[in-house]
Amino acid sequence: MFETARYESERRLRGTAAISIGLAVLIAFFVWYFSVLDTESLEQMAQSLPPSMLEAFGIETIATIEGFLAAEVYNFLWVLGLGLYFAYTAGGLIAGDIERDRMELLLSFPISRSRLLLEKFSSLLVPIVAFNAVVALVVYASAAAIGESIAPMDLLLVHLLSIPYLLTCAAIGTVFSVLLDRADTAKRGAIGLVFALFLIDSVTAGAESLDWVGKLSPTQYYNPSEMLVDGTYALGDSGVLLVVAAALLIASHILFKRRDI
Amino acid sequence: MGAIEVGDLTKEYGSVLGVDSLSFTVEDGEIFGFLGPNGAGKTTTIRALLGLISPTSGTATVLGADVRNEDSLIEAKQRIGYLPADLGFDEGVTGRRVLDYHASIKGDHRRDELLEVFTPPLERPIREYSTGNTRMLGLIQAFMHDPDLVIMDEPTAGLDPLKQEEFNEFIRAERERGTTVFFSSHVLSEVRRVCDRVGILRAGQLVGLEEIEALLDRGGKRVHVVPVDGDNPAITELDGAFDVTSVGEEVQFTYTGDYNALLAELARHDVRDVEISEPALEDVFMHYYGTDDANGEASTPEAADV
Repeated sequence: MFETARYESERRLRGTAAISIGLAVLIAFFVWYFSVLDTESLEQMAQSLPPSMLEAFGIETIATIEGFLAAEVYNFLWVLGLGLYFAYTAGGLIAGDIERDRMELLLSFPISRSRLLLEKFSSLLVPIVAFNAVVALVVYASAAAIGESIAPMDLLLVHLLSIPYLLTCAAIGTVFSVLLDRADTAKRGAIGLVFALFLIDSVTAGAESLDWVGKLSPTQYYNPSEMLVDGTYALGDSGVLLVVAAALLIASHILFKRRDI
Repeated sequence: MGAIEVGDLTKEYGSVLGVDSLSFTVEDGEIFGFLGPNGAGKTTTIRALLGLISPTSGTATVLGADVRNEDSLIEAKQRIGYLPADLGFDEGVTGRRVLDYHASIKGDHRRDELLEVFTPPLERPIREYSTGNTRMLGLIQAFMHDPDLVIMDEPTAGLDPLKQEEFNEFIRAERERGTTVFFSSHVLSEVRRVCDRVGILRAGQLVGLEEIEALLDRGGKRVHVVPVDGDNPAITELDGAFDVTSVGEEVQFTYTGDYNALLAELARHDVRDVEISEPALEDVFMHYYGTDDANGEASTPEAADV
């Protein structure tokens, strides 16, 4: 059991380590930068921005470390950056093996297509968990180092609840990956869609009547600003993301099972 | 029940026919050569046997498992080895890691023994592998779990002549062990050295199925003779001489008659040079499978080999 998951996870270790280090350095820099910022004038500038813009970028306040990190790190790096990263990576899961003639051998294994797909997908948990663990620690430690403190529970939840969100982005990539034969096309399609959904959510953020359109985007169901700044979170939203991710995986599985290789 | 039984197997790609109601049986323990020009549908057939593509109609069984039934096919795959024509491994890992991965799923009772015959550089990453090395790694993974049935698509493509001979030797030893081997090729001379029987595929249809000896007898020999000026042997009068053509001084023909008669005729004349060789696969087709429609190959759908 889980031979493929193990093998694929191992292959992700190096890339995961490299990106984790990059994220850690970047975030330590952000936190240090916050310590030297003139937060009052920054806050004044932020408040002079149109409210729709503030909402679009998830800026509640920028004068506290929580608000600053929510705007700069979580809404930008996590929701957009990692969302795109996992959509892109998942886009290559199956299509990459088909394109590079590896799939025929994999399918000669005495395992089902669904198991192969699920085990490959599960290897994405390695970077998802690693990035979250590393960055949570770095944020907590570096904030303490500049004499700020962040509620550990809020921080933990921001990271924990990002996992359903990132899994949903990866599941979107997986659908592209089983549909298309060319890895590049699948990856581009996946990041294109996730980016479009992010934009839709941002653009419709201020418009009540278009609320339902924004609800199509996974970004609606993961709100790091609320968690960090207000300390409120909606577990129901995370449940929605998990259900959507599962539904997309089931769809991928059906498509993959029926297709000719 | 045979190791492979194909019944009325048809695969269409849109309007293009990959294979057309193919039926044949591969018996337990035999080495079966699946012959045909590129694009004839060999790869399509093999992919259907492994459940990679689903047949449009008809079906096939491998080791008793219906290829349309994933569960029973998975069970059978524990005893099947496969070497695809286009072989890909993860570029960044070493050959050893690839084999370890395969072993973790299929088992590897025979890895060490196989590594004495085939010698890919296991400690190097796959991206540094030559075509021959990749193919050797492919052969090892196909046989490492000691399967009862091995299916190979153009197994010797990319092997140098020496390795090819070792491969033939290896396949003969496999037959002694009782392994059933099914492999495709478009080169008759390659197949004839190891196969018990061959099936010949052309434009998606099985046009011949016979013992290799019978095929070679019927295919005859290709003869080239260069007589000394003016002393032409009466080739056209020999029984079993076909396709007699003259190219410059040289007379070429296909000969399926009695060898003594040919040698006696040649001995009566002054012969400067003679060459008697295996006919090309295409020539065997030409004479014995009624494929004198010269554009038969050209009209073969490209998609059939995809």
